[in-house]
Amino acid sequence: MTAAIPGAPAVPDATTGPRASRAAVFVLARFEARRLLLRAPVLIAFAGYVGWTVWRTRTSWDGFPALQDADRATQTGPLLVGLAVLLCANHAVLRSRRHGTEPHFAVLVVPPWRRTVGHLLSVVPAALLVTVCVGGQFAWEALKPGAIGHGSPGELLAGPLSVLLLGVTGVLLARLVASPLAAPLLLVFLLFFALFTAGLPDEGRARWLAPVVVENSGDTLPSDLLGRPAAWHALYLAGLALCLALAAVMLSGGARLRSVRAGVAGAVVLTLVGAVAQDGSVSPETAEARTRISTTPEKVHRCTEREGTTYCAFPEWGPRTADWAEVVEDVRSLAGGTAPDRPLTVRQRVEARYGLSGDAAIPPAARPDEVTVGTTWGGNRVPEFAVAVAGVLVTGDEETAGALCDGRTVTVMWLALAGRPDPMSDLRRVRLDDSTSGSAVVISQTEPLSMTAAHTEVVRELLERPRDEVAAKVKGHWAELTAPKVTTDRAAELLGLDAPEEADECL
Amino acid sequence: MTCTVSASGLSLHYGGTRALDDVSLRLSAGVTGLLGPNGAGKTTLLRVLATAVPADRGSFTVLGHDPGTSHGRREVRRRLGYLPQTPGFHPDFTAFEFVDYVAILKELTDRAARHREVRRVLDEVGLTEVRGKHIRMLSGGMRQRVALAAALVGDPAFLVLDEPTVGLDPEQRMRFRELIAHAGEGRTVLLSTHQTEDVAMLCHRVVVLAGGTVRFDGTPAELTARAAGRVWSSTERDPGAKAGWRTGLGTFRNVGDPPAGADLLEPTLEDGYLLTLDGTDAEVAA
Repeated sequence: MTAAIPGAPAVPDATTGPRASRAAVFVLARFEARRLLLRAPVLIAFAGYVGWTVWRTRTSWDGFPALQDADRATQTGPLLVGLAVLLCANHAVLRSRRHGTEPHFAVLVVPPWRRTVGHLLSVVPAALLVTVCVGGQFAWEALKPGAIGHGSPGELLAGPLSVLLLGVTGVLLARLVASPLAAPLLLVFLLFFALFTAGLPDEGRARWLAPVVVENSGDTLPSDLLGRPAAWHALYLAGLALCLALAAVMLSGGARLRSVRAGVAGAVVLTLVGAVAQDGSVSPETAEARTRISTTPEKVHRCTEREGTTYCAFPEWGPRTADWAEVVEDVRSLAGGTAPDRPLTVRQRVEARYGLSGDAAIPPAARPDEVTVGTTWGGNRVPEFAVAVAGVLVTGDEETAGALCDGRTVTVMWLALAGRPDPMSDLRRVRLDDSTSGSAVVISQTEPLSMTAAHTEVVRELLERPRDEVAAKVKGHWAELTAPKVTTDRAAELLGLDAPEEADECL
Repeated sequence: MTCTVSASGLSLHYGGTRALDDVSLRLSAGVTGLLGPNGAGKTTLLRVLATAVPADRGSFTVLGHDPGTSHGRREVRRRLGYLPQTPGFHPDFTAFEFVDYVAILKELTDRAARHREVRRVLDEVGLTEVRGKHIRMLSGGMRQRVALAAALVGDPAFLVLDEPTVGLDPEQRMRFRELIAHAGEGRTVLLSTHQTEDVAMLCHRVVVLAGGTVRFDGTPAELTARAAGRVWSSTERDPGAKAGWRTGLGTFRNVGDPPAGADLLEPTLEDGYLLTLDGTDAEVAA
């Protein structure tokens, strides 16, 4: 080109040919990406997503996350961003048509199909930003002192890939339906579809066709037993995004390009491989391992001994034994008789046979002096575990402790809660109805314990008294307090209280 | 003068309508005016030359590149600036962003150089002060100048302007004339217009199109000369005139074949244009 106007600066030396065209696509993508990221819906969605993530991660899993659960928790938040990106990417593609610049832009050097590629690439920074957020969220969980387990890169990719997929869908939709109403309508449809499918059972391969597959169970399983085809699902999402992207390019005039046609074939293969491989069924090896860990966990356990207690945990939960030991020592220190020195075994157990779709209870351990601890920790799980330890120290085994219906319940509950920083609060938290009066069921990893109204009254009064004073009485009357059939009235009397006024009937 | 654009036998039909019929042109540096009544095929010809639509028959080259091939079309577009008849704008873009966007679509990929170029063209059309304003905040005249800046960005060798002064007030038209005259220095500008004064003041050549065919191709002086001895003054409208109207002086200005002894007047380019259209199917607004 010649500099036609005297005094005008030289025209930029744009390299001509395919290289310049490719460069223009990236420059266009950057331009569009900047605008996309500054659009109000995307900004609001990002603010909502980041705010919600920060708020939630502060207290998630009570500070004791299992990273094989924490990775999945990164997946739903990005959908909000993805929907906003869908809307705005669609809007950006339709901009020229909406404002009548198409006739002008049609004679510019960058052809429509390359402009479509620019729009497709413009959603990538949003996906990358979400990747950073996902990484930050996961790193935050992983850096918590109580974190255990292993995350899956496939699970962590699901969020960013969903954003990419939704953004690409917005571009494709604009190439299919040149109406600004199409994207909002699709959004409404997707929301209704999500609400409808949320009520469907967890089983079935169809659910894996959705970008994000949530689990309804609160159980935490060892990371190698989850049975979630996360890597295949990530491949499926990436392939699907590529398919839709190339379809948009083809609709914009790129169909005649051999590279695009070959890309479509490759993307379809990727998608199909991912879709078939993520069929949702659990491999026989995983099923066998789940059965083994559920029925004979001792074959998998790694055991360590601390202060006369043996802690047997699944390999990933090794770091948790120190937290368990702290609770055990607190309870032991308040007990009398031989209990402080009696060898105990804390054994971690989980019901893994139903995978993440079940919430089955664990039966109480039948072996004497064995306490069950679950795979989750923190929050209510701590006083629940303390109750389990106290129950075994008082009765000898979990089965008996679960069936308690006499004055020993008072001793069990006081032992469990007296060493806690806020005993009354923990009393409320371990009771199913969150009360501190009347009868209630005490939540447990295994068999729940029943408290009568009389038990509650006595325990509450004991917790309000100085701990050392009560501890001396517990230790002094240990044999009688832990004798079967001891009544609540007698237990109260031994502990220096009046007989309770409230009813003493087990639930 | 070196020929920049050369068109030969261009024809285009829309259904049964003949939009262009065997149009041949040779354009060189400077401003060439394209005159013609509504429906003459001006916009169609500009769209063909701007590679927006292909011709059914015929061929043309721009600076030696044939837009009939994919490579040639790309090369033509690299050298083309196009201001459509009703340019669209992205109202939520600033003037700078809009021209920058067009520059990107013209493959100006180096950010610093592109931004320099965008600032240059906005300065050239006098929009430096408002370049950061959203287009929705700009007046119609300013928007038209944004469109001209978008056409000028990348310093195209061939500039196609489709009725750029439509809807502008006289002051804005004057400003636009300056801009177009400036743009025509050293590059080929094809200016479609209904304004014969614009052609008279700006163009070194003029092409008259009617019914899809070229009726005249020459200098403005030659077009004006067509009316020499065919414009006269009378106290009443001469029934034999092709066109006639009352002037501000109260006399009638007639164009056509004057009666013997008529009071002849100095012809204008518009007179030559009207006489050139005489006998065509086109409606002559006089």
